[in-house]
Amino acid sequence: MTYGKGATEVAALRQVSVAFPRGSFTAVMGPSGSGKSTLLQCASGLDRPDSGAVRIAGRDITRLREKALAVLRRDQVGVIFQAFNLVPSLTAWQNVILPSSLAGRRPDPSRVRELLHRVGLAGRERHRPAQLSGGQQQRVAIARALLGRPEVLFADEPTGALDRSAGHEVLALLREAVDAFGQTVVMVTHDPQAAAQSDSVLFLTDGQIVDVLDRPSADRIGMRLGGRR
Amino acid sequence: MSFAASFAAVLLAVMLVGGSGMVVAGAGARDDLSGVVGLLVLSAMVSGFVSVFVVAGMLSLHVLRRRRTWALLRSVGMTPRQVRRLVTAEALVVAVLASAAGCVLAVPYAAAMAEFMRMTGLAPTSVPVEVTSGPFILALVVGLAVTLLAARGAARKAVRVGPLEVLRESAAQRRLLSWPRAVSGAVALGGGIALLFLVPQVKAVAAVPTGLGATMALCVGASALGPVALRGMGRLLGAVAVRLDPGAGMLAGSSLVAQPRRAMAAASPAMLTVALACTFLFAVATGDAAAGVTRTGPSAWAAPMLVGSAVAYTVISVLNATAMTMTERTEEIRLLRTLGITPRQLTRMVCWETLTVTCAGALLGTGIAAASLTALGEAATGRPWFAYSVPQYAGLVLVCAVSGLAGALTSTRKARHGSLRHDG
Repeated sequence: MTYGKGATEVAALRQVSVAFPRGSFTAVMGPSGSGKSTLLQCASGLDRPDSGAVRIAGRDITRLREKALAVLRRDQVGVIFQAFNLVPSLTAWQNVILPSSLAGRRPDPSRVRELLHRVGLAGRERHRPAQLSGGQQQRVAIARALLGRPEVLFADEPTGALDRSAGHEVLALLREAVDAFGQTVVMVTHDPQAAAQSDSVLFLTDGQIVDVLDRPSADRIGMRLGGRR
Repeated sequence: MSFAASFAAVLLAVMLVGGSGMVVAGAGARDDLSGVVGLLVLSAMVSGFVSVFVVAGMLSLHVLRRRRTWALLRSVGMTPRQVRRLVTAEALVVAVLASAAGCVLAVPYAAAMAEFMRMTGLAPTSVPVEVTSGPFILALVVGLAVTLLAARGAARKAVRVGPLEVLRESAAQRRLLSWPRAVSGAVALGGGIALLFLVPQVKAVAAVPTGLGATMALCVGASALGPVALRGMGRLLGAVAVRLDPGAGMLAGSSLVAQPRRAMAAASPAMLTVALACTFLFAVATGDAAAGVTRTGPSAWAAPMLVGSAVAYTVISVLNATAMTMTERTEEIRLLRTLGITPRQLTRMVCWETLTVTCAGALLGTGIAAASLTALGEAATGRPWFAYSVPQYAGLVLVCAVSGLAGALTSTRKARHGSLRHDG
């Protein structure tokens, strides 16, 4: 994966080969510019790699046309960014059902209610994003992603803009999504505490995977990061 | 983009006011042209009003659009006073350059208008266009004064919010109407209604100007109080859109309900176009019908053409305002794409929203024009009746809708088709 042309060309990812098993929680770590966000964007179909393939549930998504990509994002992939995950003019409820509405489906209201309850937002269905805290907004985004039961849920620094306790709640929800719903989660983060929630941690440097840790503790991750610096 | 729009708005305003002023001055000096002077003054009045309205709206949109810049400057230690001065200075540069260009273009515009009046037979002889200082001074004063006043008002709004608050921009607007806005809107509305009742009382010559004045006052009132009306209309028209197109319609309707002030900024020009053009055109038609005059051939086109340049101007501002309000949505459009909106759904959403806003504006404008025209009909014939032309009305609404759509679709093109890559 390269950005720019000629002299300004930058290779963001080189020869990265990785598989995220179904029902696993993977954290991707690395210094800024290591290509971790690019990896996530290629994997989620937001960006196309120059060469190579990205397969979701066995299907190569790199050759898909815009319409098919949209359907993929709607039905098979969930994405949560650091901030601005919600449509400002829609209520929490409307934001959760948005992908289903776009697909022309009417989701079961009791399931939507249950999901919002589960992420701790019961009674806030009719609030707009501006009336919710940062942590609450992230939890609405998680509820939205879970409603569609996507093949994989990508999270790019989901706790980056939150204070410690709100961040902790968001991470606990992602963990619960894996354990209780069998959801596959891939999360980019620079926080060892956040990465410690995952089943395995990928370390990226200069566009290449340099290490993998399974079931790591925050201390081990911290040491691993410290060792590189 | 928004600089260019403000520049164009001021330039065209100065050109319209200066040019109409020159034609009026030229025609007023000749006895054999006294018959058309009244009509010319009316169309100049329309041009002047439209100019003030559009320039003020465009500049406040421009300043609001740049509020992130102001907030950033505030956060690095610029005082509110310095920000205000910067905003004013910026507006002044735009105003001076655009006014100068507008003055230059006013001369050929006046010549073209005079030539057109001779061709349509509106004026028995050709209208002499004299390049005198009067119209230029008037146009310059209007251009500069309106630009500065609008910039000052918007700058006050820009500095009132704290630096962080703006950067953390929330979508839910704090209040639908500020007190000054509500009061000035109510005063304008009251004034307009008073003028409506005056129309049948005043002398016959003054009836049409009074009616036009009522339309203008009602437009000012409606655009100040509009967000309230628009929220209701947004619910109604939005419900229709949801019925026709659930996903995209829901998005379109909700943004109108959640952001009625932004929507009103885009709806105002459409309202103005329909209200003023209908009042002017159908007042002339009603007057003709009452006097038993039938206009055929080129002279049938006289009234439409006179108001034409003002309409062209408001139509451009429909396009501009829609484009400006839509550019604000870039981030939201990208978010919708990551959530899996298809390109077609996205296009439909943009179209629904624009059509809802334009239709709401056109409906308000229709209501205003109908009120003024009923009063005028009462004055001319003693009955609450007025003449109208469906094709002309439909044409006006269509032109508004098409230019709104053009503005919305071109301004969102990059957001709709560009890369979804996030930097960072």
